[in-house]
Amino acid sequence: MIAFLRFEIVRTLRNVRFLVMLVAFPVLLYLIYAQQHGMSQGLTVATLLLVSMAVYSGMGSAMFASGPQLARERGNGWMRQLRISPISTPGWFAAKLIQAILLIIPGLALLVALALTYGHVHLAAGRLGLLVAVLVLGTIPFCALGLVIGLMFDSQTAQVAQMITLLVLAFLGGIFIQWSSLPHGMQLIGKALPSYHLAQLGWNAAGGRALGLANIAALAAWTAGLAAVALWRWRRESTVA
Amino acid sequence: MKTASADAGPAVVFADVVKVYNGRVTALDHASFEIARGETVALLGPNGAGKSTAIDTMLGLRTPTSGQVRVLGLTPADAAAAGKIGGMMQTGGLPEGAKVSELIGLFRQLYRGRRSQADLLRLAGLTELADRRVEQLSGGQAQRVRFALALAGQPELLFLDEPTAALDVEARRGFWQSVRTIAGQGTTVLFATHYLDEADANASRIIVVSHGRVLADGTPAQIKAYTSVRTIRFSTPAPDTPVLLGLPGVSGVSADGDAVTIRSGDADATLPALYALARPVRGLEIGGGGLEEALLALTHVDDASSAHPGHSGRPSGPSHPSHPPQTTKAG
Repeated sequence: MIAFLRFEIVRTLRNVRFLVMLVAFPVLLYLIYAQQHGMSQGLTVATLLLVSMAVYSGMGSAMFASGPQLARERGNGWMRQLRISPISTPGWFAAKLIQAILLIIPGLALLVALALTYGHVHLAAGRLGLLVAVLVLGTIPFCALGLVIGLMFDSQTAQVAQMITLLVLAFLGGIFIQWSSLPHGMQLIGKALPSYHLAQLGWNAAGGRALGLANIAALAAWTAGLAAVALWRWRRESTVA
Repeated sequence: MKTASADAGPAVVFADVVKVYNGRVTALDHASFEIARGETVALLGPNGAGKSTAIDTMLGLRTPTSGQVRVLGLTPADAAAAGKIGGMMQTGGLPEGAKVSELIGLFRQLYRGRRSQADLLRLAGLTELADRRVEQLSGGQAQRVRFALALAGQPELLFLDEPTAALDVEARRGFWQSVRTIAGQGTTVLFATHYLDEADANASRIIVVSHGRVLADGTPAQIKAYTSVRTIRFSTPAPDTPVLLGLPGVSGVSADGDAVTIRSGDADATLPALYALARPVRGLEIGGGGLEEALLALTHVDDASSAHPGHSGRPSGPSHPSHPPQTTKAG
């Protein structure tokens, strides 16, 4: 599994253009808005926006790290070659998840660096550490989501499916617009999404407030559910098709 | 010892396998064969015959609708998990962004380094391409990389599905030389092709498949004899099948109303005898020569005779290499 993980990371890191595109959008938004003045949810705009953009970047990186590539490689037959090798399903799955988690780090690091300099964000080391930990661990359900999309869609539709999913997660989860300003029905949907819970955890961590157990439980439930779907799709494809 | 008895068994047992896609398309229709360890066997048939489905089934990539498939005494999935089989599929993309050497290195590690990197590069003719990124390879070069991946585990059983499709003449020669080297080291090889020449030159046994069935199973010499078979079609009122079957050279007769199809290994002898019967013979056509024709004749006679009661037109049970090719005698 370690060999497979290293192989996957090396070849993904070679695709520099892909990595730049993943990170460019949230970084650009941060540069545009971070120097606005004001407070919201007990946080400065620069801090609030750091969390929003880090959540958005993390979700996007986690999903795009594996989804479209997986859909392409299911289509071109590479997954068949892997399937007849001795690699185990749990080994493959764990490697893909770790690959996705590692790929969110460049975007997150860049945003934190920007916030501390350009955004004049002041966070105590402990609070910053907690925030980074929340943002990294909190993207695990989105890594699984990327795998589910990569396993359910073909190479042509996976990209679009991910973009739509990402935008729905960002808008209804309260990352691009305030959750409380959404229509009531959308608030209810938004509150069920993992993006909402990750953003809440991030803002609470940045504001020095207690992390909500309900938020953590929701993310854990999403992770378990999505991982189960991904494993089911993977197994189904390898036996029935 | 448990492993010893498993090692002594056949490399492949493919017993009465049926594969129906989406409840409609029958890719395998009660196909049966057995492959002994150490054999190099060609699965020969036209496109759409069911060759790829058969290979996918043996690799564990597809589950049969019914029937039994055992590979090295194990289920295909267990054999794959144990790293005992290698496969080169007809469609096999490579992961973008990887270098040839990294890809081969990965497979060596997955198979616990049973064959050295240098050996693999040499066997697949890739030594000069080791640092190349996979997206920069030509179709033939990519095919050689997939060959190297199939060999990485030093498999006991190697499946090759139309392995030379993208290769030029010289690469083909090198490829088959490497296959012979590997077979010489004791690996059982099963390859699919639709070229009789390729099967004849590289296999010790040929299994002919068409419409998902095993039509013939024998040595290349036996299978090649089919290509001398001619199909004689004509119509005659109330054909007398036993008489026609007695004509020189005739190996099969089927009749559907007035329409008669005769298969003959010696049409030059059959025709004068046919006319000597002094019965009206109209619309005579002779087909034959070449494998495609031979296959068409086989499948045609097979289909026609399967309508006769008491004759299934289907080979029964696994055949052995020593068996003569199965002929279809209608009666």
